[in-house]
Amino acid sequence: MSPFKGKSRALRLGLFTVPLLLTLTGCSQVSGLGFPEGVSSVNDISLSLWQGSWIAAGVVGVFTLVLILWPAVFHRAHASKGEFPKQTQYNIPVEIVYTVIPFIIVAVLFYFTAVKQEEIVEKSPTVAHEITVNAFQWSWQFTYPEAGEKATVTGTPSKPPTLVVPVGERVRYTITATDVVHGFWIPAFMIQMQNIPGITNSLEFTANKIGEYPGRCNILCGRNHAQMLFTIKVVSQSDYQQYLETLKASVA
Amino acid sequence: MTTYAERPTISPAPGSLQPGVAPASKGKNFVKWITSTDHKTIGYLYLFTSFAWFLIAGVLALILRVELTRPGMQFISNEQYNQVFTMHGTIMLLMFATPLFVGFANVIMPLQIGAADVAFPRLNMFSYWLYLFGGLMTFSGFLAPGGAASFGWTAYAPLSNSAYSPGIGGDLWVIGLAIGGLGTILGAVNFITTIFTMRAPGMTMFRMSIFSWNVLLTSILVLLAFPPLAAALLALESDRLYGSLIFDPANGGAMLWQHLFWFFGHPEVYILALPFFGIATEILPVFSRKPIFGYKGLIAATIAISALSVAVWAHHMFASGQVLLPFFSFMTFLIGVPTGVKFFNWIGTMWRGHVTFETPMLWVMGFLVTFLFGGITGIILASPPLNFSVSASYFVVAHFHYVLFGTVVFTMFAGIYFWWPKMTGKMLNERLGKIHFWTLFFGFHITFLIQHWLGIKGFPRRYADYLATDGFTGMNMISTVGSFLLALSMIPFAVNVWITRKSPMVGVDDPWGYGSSLEWATSCPPPRHNFLSIPRIRSERPAFDLHYPHIKTEGH
Repeated sequence: MSPFKGKSRALRLGLFTVPLLLTLTGCSQVSGLGFPEGVSSVNDISLSLWQGSWIAAGVVGVFTLVLILWPAVFHRAHASKGEFPKQTQYNIPVEIVYTVIPFIIVAVLFYFTAVKQEEIVEKSPTVAHEITVNAFQWSWQFTYPEAGEKATVTGTPSKPPTLVVPVGERVRYTITATDVVHGFWIPAFMIQMQNIPGITNSLEFTANKIGEYPGRCNILCGRNHAQMLFTIKVVSQSDYQQYLETLKASVA
Repeated sequence: MTTYAERPTISPAPGSLQPGVAPASKGKNFVKWITSTDHKTIGYLYLFTSFAWFLIAGVLALILRVELTRPGMQFISNEQYNQVFTMHGTIMLLMFATPLFVGFANVIMPLQIGAADVAFPRLNMFSYWLYLFGGLMTFSGFLAPGGAASFGWTAYAPLSNSAYSPGIGGDLWVIGLAIGGLGTILGAVNFITTIFTMRAPGMTMFRMSIFSWNVLLTSILVLLAFPPLAAALLALESDRLYGSLIFDPANGGAMLWQHLFWFFGHPEVYILALPFFGIATEILPVFSRKPIFGYKGLIAATIAISALSVAVWAHHMFASGQVLLPFFSFMTFLIGVPTGVKFFNWIGTMWRGHVTFETPMLWVMGFLVTFLFGGITGIILASPPLNFSVSASYFVVAHFHYVLFGTVVFTMFAGIYFWWPKMTGKMLNERLGKIHFWTLFFGFHITFLIQHWLGIKGFPRRYADYLATDGFTGMNMISTVGSFLLALSMIPFAVNVWITRKSPMVGVDDPWGYGSSLEWATSCPPPRHNFLSIPRIRSERPAFDLHYPHIKTEGH
């Protein structure tokens, strides 16, 4: 094989780095790096971690990529260099450095992770509202105990239901399943939790921005898994009270 | 002190593997292959069979991609879609990648440690038949009424029980995997025994090549991970067939399955990664003309990865609300440290080397770049708050394809191009090898890079369909186009194998010129019992020492 000449070598380097550069620039155009800002209490907690982790990942990734490509470009065999390079096998100081530095990086990431995950899974002693999210093959059943035990909205695969929640108030979601495992996921809110038959899970968060957001089941649950959709509709507190009233009236 | 004299042997006649045996008929050759106990022949059977499964599962992947190109169901039904991705995942992980490790280990490891064969040659062949028929059994679900298993390769209970997934396809899946898994377990026993008892004189543990070290550690992981899988599968079949209630949700069965499955499933990821890291580690020094950098640190890192890999399984269950998040998160982050160490060992090997880019080296570079990005998204996913954002989405699909495809497929081709002359005595064509690499490299990245955004935008994995209003269409189209480019890259490879089939034999022990480990100190292909004579083994580079006795290693 003949050694590459300068130009084609640069071309090959470019070809290698393009995919990764695309990743990095593609992300930095969006301030939330793919997620909207300020839509839920979880989003408020997690988004900065998401951004910070990607910045750290970008720095580490580019640094390592350069280190990979550097010898590939600049330490090529050449007749003028002789047949063999120096046969270096160990360099203890370097080895200690590249063991300790990754450890520090993951320790820092873990610190922020641990702090934030506590905030997300924290349960308050009392909450303003409670909603039960029951999953079944292949739709959702939302129950609003505030409007009575029978105040239930049930969807079907062809008619996905809407989960109505009040803006700015903390809601406790009781997460259950009647048949197989399902996954309650609201992508924009950066939160999900499995609906597991035989187990009662719970989750608390506040929706912070009026609007409609898609929700999807994300644990394979059988034939119509992809039709197990719902919409989460965030409404003002007065609209929410009104919704509860109509719900109460409709089941009475 | 032991002295090594040339053993008096009959040198093989040119063009025949067996000394003094006339070329046999096709039928006799076939019988010889399927009754062989030679580790190399069994290894070739493993490599060939697993590659066939790779192509089959690749076609299944194309079916998935075509169906996802546009919203709406165009070609197959929801149920068929579920069957296709279930079998795609099952085949790729358990019938392609795992036995591919067994194939490479069978062919290469005994050569690298200077053994004449594996410890239990007949058990070795038995393992192969268990693998082949177990795999065929799993796949035969497609012929069953109701079709193949459709509950995902993770087979979460209770979806996988007979009430929610009736049909014999599911039973064939469960029992086929249990049988194939037994083959894997027996293979691991064989490798561990071989490495512990059959190393050549002078081949101490710390002179053994990194690939053989990784075969040892992988085999230990197999013994830790596959028996729990076998137990879980047999318990599942007992639920399905006899109505036992082991995975009944009323008794916590849903979580029991997730724990058992991932206690197998996570080490399995490292069972797939470690041997292929080993292949990369074999190739880098040869094309840098240097010893592997930080050999002992690299072994320590691999041991650390193996140990940590059995303590991270619940990171697949962060969103279950039922696991101790800080512990599993911390363990998962920690595994990034030895993995990082490996990267620096690989870089250090190339650093100030005399690097050349023959095809195997190119594939290793592709592995390094691809796996780097998969590792980075792995660190992101290790953090439960971020995991809650994108778990079970296409972000995860993209992540594990970067990790697994990046590792297994890139280094598989690296290993095939690298050891092809050792296995067949012939070189593959360099130009076609490079076309193959670049087609696959771009095909892969076009297919999977975009899937990270699909996941962040909320596309769940295992969805047969999406809505036109979801905004997933454009990204899915790009991914599908990439997948076809990826599939096309198999053509130059097939052409390469075909046109070089009658190439002249390389005629030397080490056609690459700078091989380190012991397989480069015997002929291409090696004789029936591998070595006519064993060189002195005084370092971890016996073949290099033999060919370049004047070159000294520095920096101890």
